[in-house]
Amino acid sequence: MKIAVLNNCVPFLRGGAEHLADALAAKLAEYGHQPLLVRVPFRWEPPQKIIDHMLACRLLRLPNVDRAIALKFPAFYVPHPNKVFWLLHQFRQAYDLWGTRFQGLPDTADGRAIRDVIVQADNSYLPEARKIYTNSRVTSDRLKKFNGLDSEVLYPPLLSHSQYLCGEYGDYIFCPGRINATKRQRLLAESMQFCRTPVALLVAGKTETAGDAEAIQALAGRSGMEKRIRFIDRFIAESEKVEWFSQSLGCAYIPYDEDSYGYVTLESYLSRKPVITCTDSGGTDALVKDGVTGHRVAPEPRALAAAMDQLYADKQKARNMGEAGYALVQSLRINWDNVVEKLTR
Amino acid sequence: MKILIATSVTPFVEGGATYIVDSLSQHLQARSHEVEVLRFPVSEKYPELLDQLLAFRLLDLTQHGDRLIAIRTPAHLLKHPHKVVWFIHHYRCAYDLWGTKYQGIPDTPEGVAYRDAIIAADNVGLREAAALFSNSTVVRDRLKKFNGLDAEVLYPPLSDPQRFHSEGTGDYLLYFARITHHKRQWLAVESLRYTDTPVRLVIAGCPDPGEEPYVDDLRRAIEKYGLSRRVTLISEWVHEAEKVDLFARCLGVLYFPFDEDSYGYASLEAHASRKPVLTTTDSGGTVELVVNGRNGFVTPADPELIGHAMDQLYQDQDLARRMGEAGAERVDEIGIHWDRVMARLLA
Repeated sequence: MKIAVLNNCVPFLRGGAEHLADALAAKLAEYGHQPLLVRVPFRWEPPQKIIDHMLACRLLRLPNVDRAIALKFPAFYVPHPNKVFWLLHQFRQAYDLWGTRFQGLPDTADGRAIRDVIVQADNSYLPEARKIYTNSRVTSDRLKKFNGLDSEVLYPPLLSHSQYLCGEYGDYIFCPGRINATKRQRLLAESMQFCRTPVALLVAGKTETAGDAEAIQALAGRSGMEKRIRFIDRFIAESEKVEWFSQSLGCAYIPYDEDSYGYVTLESYLSRKPVITCTDSGGTDALVKDGVTGHRVAPEPRALAAAMDQLYADKQKARNMGEAGYALVQSLRINWDNVVEKLTR
Repeated sequence: MKILIATSVTPFVEGGATYIVDSLSQHLQARSHEVEVLRFPVSEKYPELLDQLLAFRLLDLTQHGDRLIAIRTPAHLLKHPHKVVWFIHHYRCAYDLWGTKYQGIPDTPEGVAYRDAIIAADNVGLREAAALFSNSTVVRDRLKKFNGLDAEVLYPPLSDPQRFHSEGTGDYLLYFARITHHKRQWLAVESLRYTDTPVRLVIAGCPDPGEEPYVDDLRRAIEKYGLSRRVTLISEWVHEAEKVDLFARCLGVLYFPFDEDSYGYASLEAHASRKPVLTTTDSGGTVELVVNGRNGFVTPADPELIGHAMDQLYQDQDLARRMGEAGAERVDEIGIHWDRVMARLLA
């Protein structure tokens, strides 16, 4: 099939959505389809620009294409008679972020009008699709709540699932990823002083918010903590990450209110390691079942410390939970066979 | 520099524009520029174009990149504070093909208004450009005639000419192009009938979608004229290495499209392989490159005359070699190289 993958684009910037779109196109080709990545520029400031770009997307055409797979606002408006959505998220400023400090749109008559146009356009144009899949239960729930639309969750896999390894269940909890306030690595580092076992923490990733990196650095420098907190503040290569997962006791991933289950969680389970997450981490609860595949605890240092201690104190149990995580990923069919089959059905 | 390249594409159809965009992007990156390529699908079906022209006006790239290089129409409608247009062809139905059987737009008041709106939009988008280049004199002349604009000719080079080479002069002439009626591979077959020497012909290339009947016609003609032993027809995608080899071992290259805008990459590939080019006076842009008797032959599109030129190359292989060498000089002389492209587009 000739398949167009619709994504938006901010020139010279690439994030998670771009990587997912690239991976999807590569996998579609692997499965014998002809993919075409269509990247439509998007600008949202000043807010009137949002409407311009929505209109532009409605005016574009996709000739000589059998199927369109639409990922993001507003590129997902581009019309096609045979379109499926794999919705990564809607324009959240008009929905769940409205009324929060992340609202972005001004709380004026104009701002409200723009919000209403976005909601109305979603109500009108999302149902054009043959089927709506989303990347997470959170996205599906919002779609139901705000637009009354039903969808099916189709979890995004990693580009390669076969590279992950399981070695020893070591003495450290691994926490990979970009260092910033919403990922809360700092909270993990603060928790370490409350641990009763000699469990260690390995935080590794590129710094995004300097304040957090400095705080982690300071906590690691306190006496008695030098060997307990290791902080690698730089971009981490795939091979390093695989190795650090492989030798870890488990993984901690405690973002604040994330939509998706988080690739880190998936990577940990593919390495057969249990995951510690928080009750306010959002979509991670799709994979982290408390006491079964890891621990879901309150976002408090003592609770996190207790969870880490438990993994350390009973490594056999940690192993069992890691294995259970691996089995869960298989049973949820988080793999490209499933994604390609559904999106091309 | 941060450089945006914008172009339109017909999804899943490769063409000259795709090649220019890909090779331009590679060469910019090789010179340490940061490049972002935006390829917009466009439907040219009547009456869908106007909506899409508006879309190009609404998409806002003005905050990104130090420069926007617009390639295939209607990418020049994008707004940018530093827009450079390397124009490779008009939406021809509204321009030079209007009034011919290829017009494709109805000859009604609505159709006329549609055409005029396209021309008006082009006039706006092209006039915003800080610099306007065309890929050939034919396109430059059309820009002057229809839009009243002066463009500078900037010939698109091969992406990687070094990969071509010569392995002496062989006994066959090569016609390497997409197999489609207006490329007139049939004229090469017809011409072979008028040769007195045993010169052979190799036709190679991928048939355009829907051109299978034309390929069958070619096959039948070859058989009918008893030329099966002298003509090889490779009607499929030819791998790069095989292609380079076909050029390297040939006697010369044929290129007889009907009235094309540009000289055609096959002509450049011929000269990069130090081979002469045989073309016809009605082929369009090839005559900008090929000087009759110097780096090839330019004859009227007449099988007998072409057959005679084929014989000449076969009989005088030294002449063929000298013309091939002259081709490389000719490419240089008219400035078909990346240093020039970069200097002009980034000026």
